[in-house]
Formats: sequence, structure tokens, C-alpha cells
Amino acid sequence: MEQAPPDLERQWQPAPLEPLGHPDAELQAAVDEEAEVSRDEGPGDGTMTENNFGLKKIEISVSEAEKRTGRNAMNMQETYTAYLIETRSVEHTDGQSVLTDSLWRRYSEFELLRNYLLVYYPHIVVPPLPEKRAEFVWHKLSADNMDPDFVERRRIGLENFLLRVASHPILCRDKIFYLFLTQEGNWKETVNETGFQLKADSRLKALNATFRVKNPDKRFTELKHYSDELQSVISHLLRVRARVADRLYGVYKVHGNYGRVFSEWSAIEKEMGDGLQSAGHHMDVYASSIDDILEDEEHYADQLKEYLFYAEALRAVCRKHELMQYDLEMAAQDLASKKQQCEELATGTVRTFSLKGMTTKLFGQETPEQREARIKVLEEQINEGEQQLKSKNLEGREFKFGPMLRNALARCNPVK
Amino acid sequence: MSGGPPRGLPSTGPHSLLDMPHPLAGSSSEEAVGGDSTPSPDLLMARSFGDKDLILPNGGTPAGTSSPASSSSLLNRLQLDDDIDGETRDLFVTVDDPKKHVCTMETYITYRITTKSTRVEFDLPEYSVRRRYQDFDWLRNKLEESQPTHLIPPLPEKFVVKGVVDRFSEEFVETRRKALDKFLKRITDHPVLSFNEHFNIFLTAKDLNAYKKQGMALLSRVGESVKHVTGGYKLRSRPLEFAAIGDYLDTFALKLGTIDRIAQRIIKEEIEYLVELREHGPVYSTWSALEGELAEPLEGVSACIGHCSTALEELTDDMTEDFLPVLREYILYSDSMKGVLKKRDQVQAEYEAKLEAVALRKEDRPKVPADVEKCQDRMECFNADLKADMERWQSSKRQDFRQLLMGMADKNIQYYEKCLMAWESIIPLLQEKPEAK
Repeated sequence: MEQAPPDLERQWQPAPLEPLGHPDAELQAAVDEEAEVSRDEGPGDGTMTENNFGLKKIEISVSEAEKRTGRNAMNMQETYTAYLIETRSVEHTDGQSVLTDSLWRRYSEFELLRNYLLVYYPHIVVPPLPEKRAEFVWHKLSADNMDPDFVERRRIGLENFLLRVASHPILCRDKIFYLFLTQEGNWKETVNETGFQLKADSRLKALNATFRVKNPDKRFTELKHYSDELQSVISHLLRVRARVADRLYGVYKVHGNYGRVFSEWSAIEKEMGDGLQSAGHHMDVYASSIDDILEDEEHYADQLKEYLFYAEALRAVCRKHELMQYDLEMAAQDLASKKQQCEELATGTVRTFSLKGMTTKLFGQETPEQREARIKVLEEQINEGEQQLKSKNLEGREFKFGPMLRNALARCNPVK
Repeated sequence: MSGGPPRGLPSTGPHSLLDMPHPLAGSSSEEAVGGDSTPSPDLLMARSFGDKDLILPNGGTPAGTSSPASSSSLLNRLQLDDDIDGETRDLFVTVDDPKKHVCTMETYITYRITTKSTRVEFDLPEYSVRRRYQDFDWLRNKLEESQPTHLIPPLPEKFVVKGVVDRFSEEFVETRRKALDKFLKRITDHPVLSFNEHFNIFLTAKDLNAYKKQGMALLSRVGESVKHVTGGYKLRSRPLEFAAIGDYLDTFALKLGTIDRIAQRIIKEEIEYLVELREHGPVYSTWSALEGELAEPLEGVSACIGHCSTALEELTDDMTEDFLPVLREYILYSDSMKGVLKKRDQVQAEYEAKLEAVALRKEDRPKVPADVEKCQDRMECFNADLKADMERWQSSKRQDFRQLLMGMADKNIQYYEKCLMAWESIIPLLQEKPEAK
């Protein structure tokens, strides 16, 4: 493998995030961890990894959520939730943080940001967003996006997303990301102006399309396989967990029935009356305790979902690599055949069967001018092809850093 | 009912009852099955209950429901022994050692009844006989006949729905044994019933069938007379206290029925929860196989969930075996008690009718005829007996339900403690951070 410039290599160590889900988690912690990691693994000082937006440490938090009503694209009234993003810069000297920016964003804008990042950084495993709709729901949990518990968990998920992007050495430098945090108005237009939607390769949308790659990179194949398996096992786990929660809910709630009957029974008893009444009361308390218990467990489920989506993102990177590899092979193949054609024309030898050869034999040879013209066209195409190949090779090199991401993922929080 | 395949009892083989060695001939119970062989009452009294951390040896739970280490259950047993009106006990009866008998005509279970007594009514200080359910049923009928003014304890249900319940499964037999033991102990505790001749025969006779065939009817005086009470008299007014008892029993039985239904529902839900848990654990194992550093923690989580599942299964088994039967027992008790109340009403009605008839005759002689006097006598005896029995019943009901509900609480607490322990044990494993590479 070609020796990559030292800067690039060091930049490829994304920082693990600790602790997760903490509302005002400081970037400082993440940055420190990253600095530590880079010290262990590579040469160089810590200056490169500590920075964001030009030598300044920042804190990001999604601190509030608010219900809003507005008009959508079809001019129909809709209700949605907006989230307050606050950015603080931390002064080196006294450690105090100053609020530098604060604006409101809704989920769809987060989605837009992420889709943009996915297109512009195909070789990076872009951190996941919390789910768009509540899935793996057990029956009592409200599948309603307006449910306060759901909104709260989404708030945490959105914050984690921003913190992870901000702590990524490459993604954090993105201008659109910076504007997302700082420019409230017109941000959507700015993103769309980049034309990223056009850049997106539509072939990737066909999830099951296979690209026959002659020399697949084993590491990527393994990684893709792992991400498939991980997705499958986590989905299964979430489904079973939802059923378990449902059943557990049933057990607790039926105990609530004891409450009423013990109370009724206590009415006809003398000595036992108080005891039975108290027992009934405790049954009610028991029955109602399950709501909080299961709500807490949803946070665990959320973390599982995070990694489910992460696995998806990983798989996407592998697929993009596959596609890129495929294009590379196709381009190389095309180039080779054109070179051969060119050679044949130049030397006048026909090595392979071609229609032109046949027609020449049948109808006479073409004029030298015609031949020259054709050679010229081919040579141009060859040049183009070589350029393309070069750039694709460069892209490919970037992808080769993929496996390091797996290490980074494994270092992230273990399962609770 | 409980999970797992029901285990049948080993059979003694196809030979008739007459060929069986006599219980008192010192037969050993090499074919016996049944873990809970009740210790002798002497042993029971000798234990010190002061120490709350006392761990009882396995199998030493006398028809008990709670765990060995549970302090509440120890206290309950202590109370049970103390609560015999301050008198010292002179009669101890236990039911244990169920055995299956396979004969040409039928297959059935017998239980060993061990009696120890210093009472003069017993020729020997100790007896050991074998009885089957039929015999208990016979005893109960005889008691009802001969002591109609008293409340006779209930027997576990006679008929079982074949196909649904395996009447030879270990769980079923054990549940029945406990109920039969309770039945005899209640009679033993009763100051009148325990001296009943039929009861004595039941405990001591070598050949009960022969006795049954003789049809020896030893009825007490009251019993004899009450037997001949004709029905059909209408009761004018029920005394308040008996009306209150009737109402109480109606509501009581109703509430117990509801509790029984709820308890069954809970067990059903818990079993369904268990099914899901049994699928939940293994998914972590599957995941663990994909991972490197996470493999051990994930495997640990899987094992942990497995432990919780086992603990839950134990809870549902205990609730099925110990909680539900007691509820059913008291429902049956209430029913039979209401029958006795009706009989009392009949006795009063007859007395009132006869009294009225005398009054209508408009005789000057204030002398009350003999038969009316007899009726009054009967009624007053009945009322007194019933009142005394009701008090006794209320007291033992309180104890039984206290033990029952505390047992339920204990079992649940134990379940949660087991789960807590399982999860706490893997925390170190989960917190372990792998060395930085």
C-alpha cells in the first residue's frame, strides 16, 4: 500500500464518545480521548486533533424541544417539533464557556445535513440519526412522534449525532456543518445549492443490486458481511426485546387487579382489614411502577438502534467502495480495449475479430485520413480514460482506510 | 400448570392391596417418592425459632410454603404451634409418603398417615396406616353425619378433569397430599371433632374397608336427632349474627374467587413472559459469536438472562403449587359452611313452628311439651357449636391467609433477589475495559 502522508493517517482516527447520552456532554472529553488515542497510535503532536473551526474548542448541546405549528410545502397546517441547538466556545485560559450561537432546527434539517455528508464523504461512516419513526414498539408505547418521552429520547439522539460529527477530524471541518450550527435562515437553500442531490449515485439506491467485481477487496467484503450480520442480530434483539417488554407490562398490570379486590375484601374483615387494604395499595404501586421501568429501558433500546444504524452506515460505505471498485475495473477494461484498438489501427494488424476488420476486407480499406481521425479520437479517449483511472485510484486509496473505522467502532461504548 | 414434563410416581406393580405388607410391620419406603416427608411433630417443637438466619435442611418444610431462610414463615409456624388455647398438644397427625398402586381394576395412590398420641382413646402411642382419597372422603361424610353442628374442614377436589391434569404427576400428588394433611390437622386441632370415633378408626384401623362394611354408625346424641330434622319449615327471622355470617361467607367466597382468577391470570402472563425471555437470552449468544472483544460480555448477558428465566420458572411453579390450592380450599370451606348454616336455619325453623303450634292450641297450661323442649335444646346447641366453630375458623383463617400472602411476597422477593444477583455478578465483566492496542 502506498504510504499516505502522515497528516491524512492521523486524521483517520475518529474519537470515541464518552459518556453517551449525557445532555451537556462536553466536547472536551471527547477531544481529550482522541488526543490520547492518537498518542498511542501514531506520531505527531496533539495540535491537529484538538481543533475545531480554527483553534477553538466548542461545546454543542441540543438543550430543548418545542412543539411548533407551521405550513408545509403543500401549504397545509402541520405540527412538528423544533430543537434548540446551542454552541458554546470554551476559552483556553479560564475554561469559561460563552454562548456563541443558538438556533432552532427540526428533524428534517438534520436529515438533510446527514444526506449531504453521506454524498460528499462516501468513505466515512457517517454517525446515525435517531430513528425517524418509532419502531420496534411494544404495544403500550406511543408510536406518536409527539409523545414527550419519544421527543426527549430523540433530543438526546440528535445531540449525540452532532457531537459525533463535531469530533470527527474530517467532518468537523465541513462548511455546511458549520453553517448548520450557526446560520439559521437560508441554510436549506445553501445546502441545496451545493447540488449534492445530483451528485448522489442513483445506483446505490438499488439496495440489492450486485456489482460483479473481479478483485474484491477482502477487508471490505468481510466488513460488509459483518455489518449485515450485526444488523440482523440487532434487529432480532430489538424485536424480541419489544415482545419481552410487552409481556412484562402485562404481568405488572394484572397485579393491579389485586388492588381493587383486596380493598373490597378488607371491607368485610375486622382484624385483617387494615392489612388487606395496605396490600391492595401496594399492588397498585407495583402495577404502576412498570411504566417508568420500561421507559428507562427504551434508552437502552435506543443505543442498540444507534448501532443498528451505524451498521447500516458501515454497509453503505462498503457498497460505495464496491461500486467504485466496479467503476474502476470497468474503466480499466475499457481503456485496455481502446488501447488495443488504437494499436491495431496504427499497425494495421487485426488481432481480434472486429466488424470494422470484416467490412474493410469486404469493402476495401479506409482512407488514411479516416484512419488518422479515428486514431486521434481513440487517443483522446485513452487519455481521458487514464485520467479517470488515476482519479479513481486516488478515491480507492481513501477507502482503504476503512478498516481503521472498525477498530474505532469496537472501542466505542460496550453494550450496557 | 407448571412447566416441564410431569413426573409420574414409580409404581409398586400390579398386585392387590391385600398382598401389600402391613404398614405397621415395619415396611421401608424404598419405593417412596416425594421430597417433602414431614418431620415428626417432636422435631418441629424442638427447633429454636429465635434465630432468624436459621437455615432448615432440605425437605424439612412441614407442609409449608415459604423458603427455609424466610423469617416471616418461621414466625408463622411458631404462632401456629402456640395457638392451641394454651393447651399442650397431645395428638399429632401427619400425611406423607404417597405411593402408587397398580391393580387389575384400577390404579390409585395411598398416603401414609402417622399418628402420635397420649390420649386414652388411643390404645397405642403411635400408629401408621395407609389411606387413599376414598377413605378421606368417607371420613368427611361420617363427620358431617355425626357432627352436623360443626364446621367440617374441606377436602381437595375429588374429581379431576382427565387429560388436562395428570393425577399421577408428582406435582398433583404433592398438592393433594398437602391438602389432605391440612384436612387432618384441622380436625386434630378441633376440640370436639378430634375425639370423634370415626376419626379415631380412620387413624388406627388396620382394615378400614372392613369397618366401613360393618356400617357401624356411632352417632352422637345431637347428631342422631339432627339427622331426623325434617326440612320444609320456613324460617321466620334469622338471628342477626347468623345472617351476618351468611353474608360474610357469600362475599368472602366471591372475593376469593376473583383473587383465584387474577392469580391464574398472573401465572399465565408470567409463563408467556418466560417464553419470550427464553428467546431473548440466546440472541446475545448469537451476537457474541460475531464479536471479538465484546464476545465475553455478551455471552455473560445471555447467561444472566438465562438465570432470570430459571428464577421466574421457579416462581410460577411455587405460585401454582402453594398459592392457588389454598384459595380453592377456602372457597370449598365457605361452601360447606353455608350448608351448615342452612341446617341450623332448619333446626330453628322446626323449633319455631312447633312452638307456634303449641301457642295456637291456646291451652292454659304453660307447660311446654317435651318435643318442643327438645327442639329448643337442639337449636341452642347448634347455635353454640356454630358460634364457637366460627370463631375458631376466623382465627385459623387469619393465620392461613397471613402465611399465604406473606409467602407470596416472599416468593416474589426471592425472585427479584435472584435476578438482582445475576445482574450484579456480570457488572464487573461489563465494566472491564480491554487493553488499548
